[in-house]
Amino acid sequence: MADPKRSAAGPHDEAEELLPWYVTGQIDRADRARVERHLLSCGDCREQLAVERRLIDEFQAMTPEVESGWARLRGRIDMPVRAALPPPRQPFAELWALLTRPAVLALAVAQLAFVVIAGGALLSLSRPAYHVLGSVPVPADANLIVIFDPHTTEGEIRHALGSAGASIVGGPTAADAYLLHVAPAARQNSVAKLQADDNVQLAQPIDGVVR
Amino acid sequence: MRRPRTEAARASARDEGELIARVARQELQAFERLYRMYQPRLTRFLTTLLKRPQLIEEVLDDTMMVVWQTAANFRGSSKPSTWIFAIAYRKAYKAKLRWPDPVEDPENDTRVSTEPAPDEEVHHRRLHDSLVQAMDRLSPDHRAVVDLTYFHGMGYREIAEIVDCPVDTVKTRMFHARRRLKQAMPGSLADWL
Repeated sequence: MADPKRSAAGPHDEAEELLPWYVTGQIDRADRARVERHLLSCGDCREQLAVERRLIDEFQAMTPEVESGWARLRGRIDMPVRAALPPPRQPFAELWALLTRPAVLALAVAQLAFVVIAGGALLSLSRPAYHVLGSVPVPADANLIVIFDPHTTEGEIRHALGSAGASIVGGPTAADAYLLHVAPAARQNSVAKLQADDNVQLAQPIDGVVR
Repeated sequence: MRRPRTEAARASARDEGELIARVARQELQAFERLYRMYQPRLTRFLTTLLKRPQLIEEVLDDTMMVVWQTAANFRGSSKPSTWIFAIAYRKAYKAKLRWPDPVEDPENDTRVSTEPAPDEEVHHRRLHDSLVQAMDRLSPDHRAVVDLTYFHGMGYREIAEIVDCPVDTVKTRMFHARRRLKQAMPGSLADWL
């Protein structure tokens, strides 16, 4: 939307146009030299320089509140990849189906018992099967599952994960289970830390090999 | 001069380039990191362009989905930020065609806080409100150039790539936008310098 009625013909117009970028430093070397030459002889442009600085300060202070939308976007990534994957192996699919059933949440004890047993059943699963957990080919595979108490705050979850050196690679499911990745060598320690956390209802390695 | 183009800025672009290469290999953790780096900046940019909060989220997600799905096409001929902002700009434009700006709440401009405030704060708030209103009256094309220059600290060449127009057009848009903003600033020059 260039304005045909206005063209930066003279050195003054050229310099004035470039002032915002001269102030931010995002300017070509030749243009900077041109602006500096002009500033030596133009009081108006020197005054405009102060205006530009004020405008930049004002705009940089206008930062809107930003809410974290990663979980929302993460949900969108799941769908097409899941559709493209072959059907998961049966034992794993059963575990997953159970974990994603809301009723499981109400049966915390039964769930706990099941997952411990299922953890053993998962021994036979090969690594690629875990991709289904996150529904994407995640290189940092899930090797730990955790269920937090429903009243746990986001800050407490973050702290617990940070202490255990864990990152979330899947979930939450309808039963609020998260799939985590921790450094394999430190997994035993991570599991112990999570299990010692009062907010953790369940923390279990899910490939059955705790090193 | 502020924000000079430093070695650190170049290193950051290199790091982001490596992150995009990992995203191209569908590494979710790399994508999450990239998302967290760009979400505040893109939200800010899209808030400048679009006036419907739900549309901002939608366009942000659409933008990042394109990044996720087409990262393999990023060849590094431009900076990662240029590539990502250009996607956001195109997505915002398409969204605007579907959902034009809502009609402004007429009370918006007149609603004032009843809390007492020191003179300086009142003055600052007046300046802030005047600029916000002046920005609202600019076209989306002009708002984009102002925001990319003043807030995101981008140069005219990078902005020209993002909004897909000649460099001279960027300069012209900025010139007109600044003139409108300055006209909107209350009081005399000496008041707010």
